[in-house]
Amino acid sequence: MEHLISSKDMARFVASGFLRYDHMVPEDLCHACREEMTSFGGYRPVGTPFEETWPKDGALGELFRLPKVAGLIHSLVGPDPLYDHHAAHLVKARTMRGPNTHQDSVIDFRKNYFDIQLSFFPVDTPDEMGGTFIVPGSHFRNVRTGEINAYQHVLGKTWATCPAGTFYVWNTRLWHGARSNHTDQDRYMFKLRLNPTQPQVGHFDMSALDDPEIPRILNTRHGWEGNEMRYELMKRVELWRYVSAQPDYDIGERFMRRREYQPQLADDQRG
Amino acid sequence: MAKVQDILVFFQTAPALDVRPSAWARYEASKGSEVGDLVEEGQPPYRNAMAAMRDGWQVIQMSEFKQRTEAEGYELGAFPYQTVLSRFSEMQPE
Repeated sequence: MEHLISSKDMARFVASGFLRYDHMVPEDLCHACREEMTSFGGYRPVGTPFEETWPKDGALGELFRLPKVAGLIHSLVGPDPLYDHHAAHLVKARTMRGPNTHQDSVIDFRKNYFDIQLSFFPVDTPDEMGGTFIVPGSHFRNVRTGEINAYQHVLGKTWATCPAGTFYVWNTRLWHGARSNHTDQDRYMFKLRLNPTQPQVGHFDMSALDDPEIPRILNTRHGWEGNEMRYELMKRVELWRYVSAQPDYDIGERFMRRREYQPQLADDQRG
Repeated sequence: MAKVQDILVFFQTAPALDVRPSAWARYEASKGSEVGDLVEEGQPPYRNAMAAMRDGWQVIQMSEFKQRTEAEGYELGAFPYQTVLSRFSEMQPE
């Protein structure tokens, strides 16, 4: 498989819950996708093989089979993913949005598992057009869908301000929402959610797991963590252990060791 | 013009009144009955609740401590603590 994401990018996905890739899609395909989006149709059968379910012809069929996009998908959910759902998101010109921070679908406690959502921006999306906002690093905080819309503002909140052809890929548990479109142009974004069909271990480029930058990436502070930074870090280390097949991995003060080191258990087993 | 209650909520990761909020929300009834267009704010209006108190806000709720159990002591969810601040302002036309 070509175009696998790097070990550092995988660490960024684990720490922040999203990755952004600009200029992923050629301009002519962006334009064709934009034209096709409005009449693309609704849900396909949920939980069916993506390769079989997703149309092979047309611009959006081509989009998710571009080698770079296919490499990104493979890196995160592995081969043969399942189609979950898709949606063409439209925020019409001069549409205002109030607080709507939410986590998609239903609360999800599955360990060593994540779905991905690909968000494709087919046209330039300047700040005033109100691209999707996200709360980086929030994907370990399970909540019930829209109850977090009380969080009008969060330290570190960021949003898609990007050129046409940009892809965001994100852990579906990431807190996010829509913003006001203050322009005279409609805003379009196309999203696709995929499920893995096998353990999400080692599907990315694992050749640089020892890169010294990885511990710093995993330790990223997004602004809102406060007193719970250590608890966030342990969640990231647990997921990094899993996806990189390093069950004993730990960093810094080794907080995971604080939880796991219990010599008396070994004695009990010997006794 | 009558004065009505404005609410400012600081969502925090520790209950103290001098903690920097992780998130915040304004429910300014003096300006309207809903937030129709959320204008992004990169920083909270005050660095902590005590700074807000020095600007006339009254604390009407401070969080209790949470008991942590082995089963959920490492789990994460909504921000665990909040401080609710109140101030009365002149009502404006909606």
